[in-house]
Amino acid sequence: MSQGLELQQAGLKGRLAPTDLTLQPEEHVVVLGSSGAGKTTLLNFCNGSLQPKEGSVQWNDQCMRHLNRRQRGAVGTLWQDLRLVEELTVGQNINCGALGRHGIVWALRNLIGPLEIETCFHVMAQVGLDRSLLNRTVTELSGGQRQRVALARLLRQQPQVVLADEPLSALDPVLAEDVLRILLEQKGCLVSLHRPELIHRFQRVLGLRQGELVIDAEPSSISSEQLAWLYGNG
Amino acid sequence: MALRQRLTPALPLFALAPALVLLPVLLVLIHTSHAGGVPLIGRFLTAALHPSLNPAVLNSLWRGLQTTLFTALTSWMLSSVIGVVLGALGSRIVWTAVLGSPWPATVVRRLLSPIRAVHELLWGLLLLQLLGLNAWVAVVAITLPYAALMARVVADQIDSHPSPALAALRGVGASPSTVLISALVPAVRTALLRHIGHRLDCSLRSAVLLGVFGLGGLGTDLMLSLQSLQFEELWSGLWVLAAVMILLDWLMRLHRFSWIGFPVLLLCLTAGRDQPWDSIWFSGSTIPSFQLTAATLTSAAEAFQEVNWPGVIGSTVLLSVMAACIATALPPLQMLLWPGRLSQRVHQLTWLAQRLLSPPLTAILLMMVAQPSLSLAALALGLHHGGVMGRVLADELTNGSSNRATALMESGASPRISWLYGPLTESSRSYLAYATYRIDVILRDTATVGLVGGAGLGWELIEAISSFHGWLIGWLVIAFAMLTLAGESLSERILVSWNCKAVPL
Repeated sequence: MSQGLELQQAGLKGRLAPTDLTLQPEEHVVVLGSSGAGKTTLLNFCNGSLQPKEGSVQWNDQCMRHLNRRQRGAVGTLWQDLRLVEELTVGQNINCGALGRHGIVWALRNLIGPLEIETCFHVMAQVGLDRSLLNRTVTELSGGQRQRVALARLLRQQPQVVLADEPLSALDPVLAEDVLRILLEQKGCLVSLHRPELIHRFQRVLGLRQGELVIDAEPSSISSEQLAWLYGNG
Repeated sequence: MALRQRLTPALPLFALAPALVLLPVLLVLIHTSHAGGVPLIGRFLTAALHPSLNPAVLNSLWRGLQTTLFTALTSWMLSSVIGVVLGALGSRIVWTAVLGSPWPATVVRRLLSPIRAVHELLWGLLLLQLLGLNAWVAVVAITLPYAALMARVVADQIDSHPSPALAALRGVGASPSTVLISALVPAVRTALLRHIGHRLDCSLRSAVLLGVFGLGGLGTDLMLSLQSLQFEELWSGLWVLAAVMILLDWLMRLHRFSWIGFPVLLLCLTAGRDQPWDSIWFSGSTIPSFQLTAATLTSAAEAFQEVNWPGVIGSTVLLSVMAACIATALPPLQMLLWPGRLSQRVHQLTWLAQRLLSPPLTAILLMMVAQPSLSLAALALGLHHGGVMGRVLADELTNGSSNRATALMESGASPRISWLYGPLTESSRSYLAYATYRIDVILRDTATVGLVGGAGLGWELIEAISSFHGWLIGWLVIAFAMLTLAGESLSERILVSWNCKAVPL
């Protein structure tokens, strides 16, 4: 019985060729490739938001499509567009990460005011958010603060594996370092990046080119020529 | 540092919490229920499956449909054209561009407010007294308030879209008319066309409603069938009406920006109906002679004293609030209880059915199982307007993004919670803005179910009209208009505080 995420000939015509891939639960993996190479499709297969036309995606030997709510919550995603609930406060947004563990009554009560405030403060501290922001609506926050709220929501979800789609794009160097550090502190992660210089922070590198998985290796074995070729140069 | 927890209920709760009013309403209905009508309700429901196909019935329905469609389409087109012209005249931006001062806009808006505040049914019953039963009565009755309402919407839309191009075009020396056409029309075009399209549905429902109160057309057929308990005939009419509503809605969505041809075509099809065409002009002899004397003043004062104003106005406001709560909360509650794309289609069918039945018809059906009461009237009114609000919600959901719901589902949230935090939270601001506007409409509509509740201004007014009590009619219409204007003012304040502006449907 295999643990973690497993893609078996998973593909979608025009976006990602049939791909075989196994991601161990405690592995830190980076996905590289130019825009349109299939990185987002791969991540969406892994979190179940996109079903492959061919093959299958499995989590702990179970098809993603047939996972129940709690099992689905084991895979957390940091979306590129963050997908915060703009009308709600920071605390209420952070608690969205716990909605998979609670029922409708808890969800309705959270809409009156954020619940389990101490837990919210704990994750806010982890991502470097000031606790005075708890009751602020997320639309009032700066881009960096919004990114931190999305991270805090992810931590509140307590996933076993984190998927992150270009989480460092448009971030200043300090915030980018913070975000990367938090992602690497998670048990396992699959992060898509446009920053080849960061591959040594990960245990494994996946390279996608024109919808095909062309590199699957340790960072130390990847040459600069390979990286240049991956991005269409040479 | 301890942080004080602030309870700031989120907007979706404001959309759902009004459902609590259903508890007392249903308790009263259960308390006043009687089993006598249960078999009748059973017959009504089963008749839906085998409507009457009798040629005489179908022929009568066809003639009624022609009249209703003609009334709806004519009043819709007239009110749209007049409303756009008056709306431009009621815009502060337009007058500022032309005269350099916005004051004429305020005058136009003030003059139109009382016309808008009187329900088309009241206009219909008042015009009926002046013109007699004439095919134009219904058309004019709908056109008057609808044109005034359209003018308000047009003026609000123009004033809430201060195009940056205005200053630029003025700077290049263009004439005021060129500036307005070039800068304003593109900014408001889409919203206005959408609103005009929606008004056709409203005109159709109003034409049916006027028929229910005896002004001819399909509404009269429906009312006669219901009063004589001919449910098969009733359902023939309801299915025809449903088909027409779906067809018009489909045509509007299909050709949103080139829709004018379809109503004109339908108008041509219905113009040949075999109903006598009287002149719109009426002779002065139909207007009661009037001289201001001490005696008339005394009778006016006596008429004023006949009404227990605090009680009547209080019950009208209570009826409006209860109905508005039901109408606002029912559609999101239905979606919360049974979310999903498939269920949304089922809900849309129920919302169509709710819109199909005019409030008086719904009230009569409810009276088969419960005694008349304010709660029953509120439920009838709330169900009808809930159908309209359901349509608004469906539109909002269609235009919204599913990204958030997807993200929540992938984090393990249930479909119900994902819908609550995703689409409902996203659409609740504009949905509540529509609901706020709807309170005005419901307040006006209390006139149509007043008879059922046996209370409120609607009841008093229908009694006064039935007994040709001129002074009392006058006082009650003034009271209705003032109440509606107060409601409008309140809803505008709420909209400003929420920083949103709805295009009323």
